[in-house]
Amino acid sequence: MTFLPFLISGLGIGAVYALSGVGLVVLFRATGVLNFAFGAIGALGAHVAWQLLEWRLPLVVAVVVAVAVATLVSFLYGRLLAPLLSHRDTVVRAVGTLALALVLIAVMGVVWGELPRRLQFPTDQMFLTLFGVRLTYTRILALLLAVIMVGAITALLSRTRLGLDMRALANDRDLSAILGVRIRQTETAAWVITGVFAGLAGLLLGDLVRLQGTFLTFLVIPAIAAAILGQLRSLWMTAIGGLSIGIAEAVLTPIAAISPYRAAAPFVIALIAVTILGSTAQAALKDR
Amino acid sequence: MVNSMTVSPPAAGLARALRGQLLAIPVTVAIFSGAVALLANSFWLSAATSAVALSLSVAGLAILYGQLGLVSLCQFALVGVGGWVTLRVGHAFHPPFEVSLLAGGFVASAVGLIFGLPALRLRGLYLALVTLMLAGAFQIVISAWGFPDGGSGFLGRADGAGRAMLARPAVAGEAVPYFLYVSIIAALGLMVAQWHKLAKPGRAWALIRKGETVAISAGVPVLIYKAWAFALSGFLAGIGGALLAGNVGQLDGRAFTAFESLNLFALTVVGGAYNWYGALIAGLLLRAIPALLTDLGIDGYVTIGIFGVALFHALATAPSGIAGQVAGLLKRLRARIGKDGAA
Repeated sequence: MTFLPFLISGLGIGAVYALSGVGLVVLFRATGVLNFAFGAIGALGAHVAWQLLEWRLPLVVAVVVAVAVATLVSFLYGRLLAPLLSHRDTVVRAVGTLALALVLIAVMGVVWGELPRRLQFPTDQMFLTLFGVRLTYTRILALLLAVIMVGAITALLSRTRLGLDMRALANDRDLSAILGVRIRQTETAAWVITGVFAGLAGLLLGDLVRLQGTFLTFLVIPAIAAAILGQLRSLWMTAIGGLSIGIAEAVLTPIAAISPYRAAAPFVIALIAVTILGSTAQAALKDR
Repeated sequence: MVNSMTVSPPAAGLARALRGQLLAIPVTVAIFSGAVALLANSFWLSAATSAVALSLSVAGLAILYGQLGLVSLCQFALVGVGGWVTLRVGHAFHPPFEVSLLAGGFVASAVGLIFGLPALRLRGLYLALVTLMLAGAFQIVISAWGFPDGGSGFLGRADGAGRAMLARPAVAGEAVPYFLYVSIIAALGLMVAQWHKLAKPGRAWALIRKGETVAISAGVPVLIYKAWAFALSGFLAGIGGALLAGNVGQLDGRAFTAFESLNLFALTVVGGAYNWYGALIAGLLLRAIPALLTDLGIDGYVTIGIFGVALFHALATAPSGIAGQVAGLLKRLRARIGKDGAA
């Protein structure tokens, strides 16, 4: 029994989890909202891409429009609806995004139905052979994208004015407001960034696994697991956490006794992480 | 002892109000179920039966959210646990239905308590996350296991031939009697939940919600009362699951996704977590809206959209849900009648 093929296939999924986890953490740090609709937003984008490809539009257009749609939905919720709950508990604000997820699932269900589909990119056909195992370019792309996006966001947070504002908000919301940080603008920027992440993650997962509204919506669970491993703070820890969750899930496939339950790996990892890290990460979770 | 001998007038008034609030439950449920039993066809009767059964699990969730402000996103998984145990016990020993029902309730209560353990230390968002993970894990386990249908072994699966249905209770074999049976148990369950809110546990929960430090300094055993809330909530969910299993005699493993738990929580907020009839309203919305849309030939996904919009609306503008608005309306009506009577 060899684990190598599974490990390599896990790298692709893991990269998507990493990307999603980082998208969640960026938003949570700046706004205090944990976005349960992250997966649904990505799923919407992926469905749009599928539809455009069905209409024989070029791939580039499909991808750009998909990410744009995801970003737009995220922006609209963040600008119009999220502020209505901004003075409430963290939990209530998270549950508010659940409402968005339900609405998006309904839209996708009515328009596209529950028939499982798959996005197909030309990169699926191209592959490298690594230790006798095929590594498709889509997976490599996912990995590269994860690294580039995390790097870009880290640079943004540490080197730009917007990043400074976002870090200030994460630290102390009221104090930042007094010091003149434009809260509404900074929060909206965070929603836009998370929308881009959601769009990319949705596209990749729609290609790597399958394209189905409710399934992609629950992409948010392993992503949250990754975010918890990063204590809802550290971007790099979140990325590494996401990657490990994806690999753990894939490597369990050849073990027959565990195989039917392997999809539970993210949940189990997250449960352990919450129980251990929960008490130490209280500071990050104090109701803002 | 001296105090209980000489009940002061306000305490007596309080006791009367408590009795009145508790008695309102069987009266309302009786009127509702009488109307349904007389008017509904078999399609609506089945929908109403599962609606009433689900309202029990909503009542459990409402205790956690309404009384303690805890968000639990795995309530439908506990409904599944109750249903699973009921079917397992029912097929293994063929006891009277009530025994399987109570077994389902107690095991779900124990599991609910275990699920709630992290919450004894964690609060707020982390509890919501933990319970979401548990709902996700349960979805995977239950779709691998399925529900027992009369086979052998621990899982009790009969593959293909030899699949058995769980018999309904002896006194309520037909659809209408079973609906009334479910209504009676639901009324009892709602009364138990309501009693908890009005009596000592409710006061303890209110203090805990104010702040654990406050509660501890007032001498409330915080851990016990929190654990009790989780156990009670799980028990109600389990009974709900058992009643669902009894309705058709079988449950489908694919129907117990994490998504259903999210739906259940959304509807608890929409129905109203602070009034007992919020649970009934939520149960009805959960089952009646899909049934209505099916009847009208509208896509079932529209239901989910409606739930989503209703959830956000409830969160942003009506935190006490539909039940809270009904309560406000009743209060205004009563005030107006009182004024007219005085004039």
